[in-house]
Amino acid sequence: MWQVIKSVLAAFFGVQKDSRRRSDFEHGKPIVFIATGVVMALIMVGLVVSVAMMAAG
Amino acid sequence: MRKVLVLAVMVVAIAGLQRNALASDWNMPVGVTEISRSVYSLHMLIFWICVVIGVVVFGAMFYSLFRYRRSKGAKAAHFHEHTTVEVFWTTIPLLILVAMAVPATATLKEMYDTSESDLDVLITGHQWRWQYEYLGEGVSFFSNLSTPSAQIEGEAPKDEHYLLEVDQPLVLPVDRKVRFLTTSADVIHSWWVPAFAVKKDAMPGFINEAWTRIEEPGIYRGQCAELCGRNHGFMPVVVHAMEQDDFDAWLAERKQQAASAANSVDREWKMDELMAQGEKVYSTICAACHQAEGQGLPPTFPALAGNQALMDDLEKHIGVVLNGVSETAMPAFSGTLNPVDIAAVITYERNAWGNETGDVIQPSDIQARLSSE
Repeated sequence: MWQVIKSVLAAFFGVQKDSRRRSDFEHGKPIVFIATGVVMALIMVGLVVSVAMMAAG
Repeated sequence: MRKVLVLAVMVVAIAGLQRNALASDWNMPVGVTEISRSVYSLHMLIFWICVVIGVVVFGAMFYSLFRYRRSKGAKAAHFHEHTTVEVFWTTIPLLILVAMAVPATATLKEMYDTSESDLDVLITGHQWRWQYEYLGEGVSFFSNLSTPSAQIEGEAPKDEHYLLEVDQPLVLPVDRKVRFLTTSADVIHSWWVPAFAVKKDAMPGFINEAWTRIEEPGIYRGQCAELCGRNHGFMPVVVHAMEQDDFDAWLAERKQQAASAANSVDREWKMDELMAQGEKVYSTICAACHQAEGQGLPPTFPALAGNQALMDDLEKHIGVVLNGVSETAMPAFSGTLNPVDIAAVITYERNAWGNETGDVIQPSDIQARLSSE
């Protein structure tokens, strides 16, 4: 799971190691990556909103 | 060593240019408010960041092109990825963007804080003039372009404030927080004064808010910043900022004028008074479409001079001016012109340019119609 989260974070950042990419494609299931991506996108939206709320304070 | 020297000379030259050229007409104005100054410094900060990025990126590119050219035997490296470099060139722009976003957001927050204003002005955009209403003061007026049409048509030399001058400017006090509420009576306009760093859309059915606190008395000019039709470039904004005492005196005078205008509706008006007033109203309001000599621009804008059907039907003429004509460009003027101006302009149209009906329309009649509707 930690590997999946790390790969999704790398995708958010836009940079990924080629070796990691290969192993993800060989071992993981796509649905796990997609679901993790959606959940983490929601978490990021929440983070951005709370930062904006704090700044608007 | 020589390269370094050339680079140093260039940097000094650019720094020297900055003092002279950048403060000139080519750059955005520094303005006369705290907000406009912080907008200006943001602009300069981001401008210089862009300059540095441009110099570094293009410098590295041109240097590599020259230094590692094929004729010198350079061989291209073939590799697919380099995670460290990629992380590096993703992180730097991220940091630069955050560094720009923090001060920019702080300024935006200030700009949007319209609370605790000392004076509220409702600004309504019309095709093609601005209307200013001092809320709670009972003072409201239109601000029309005052550049003579001879200058626009190239028959007279253009003066200094060509197309940036109005008959009645918006008058504001200095060192007071003035809140602007912008809206529109027809299409989307935008009220813009660069010296205040205020540009706010005026939209029909919406009220937008902006504010300013002018620090120096003076005359500030701006324009409509949203394409709003044929005379978009002919509805300038002029603001006259003055000390609070002068402003109070001006406002008191305007209130008195408003009161005496209300009285003048009831009295009997003479033909020549109405013709003089009507000509003024016609040239500021009607002439844009129906043209200076009433010849119109058929088929979109019908002629008034020699329009026999209209001259034979006074009722229809009054109705058209008061209520407009649906499906055409003719707006209703019952809400924008006062009874004196409506009576005067109809009288003028019926007795100018060879129209000789002899009709005299009294403001009190128009007033009676308006109150019965």
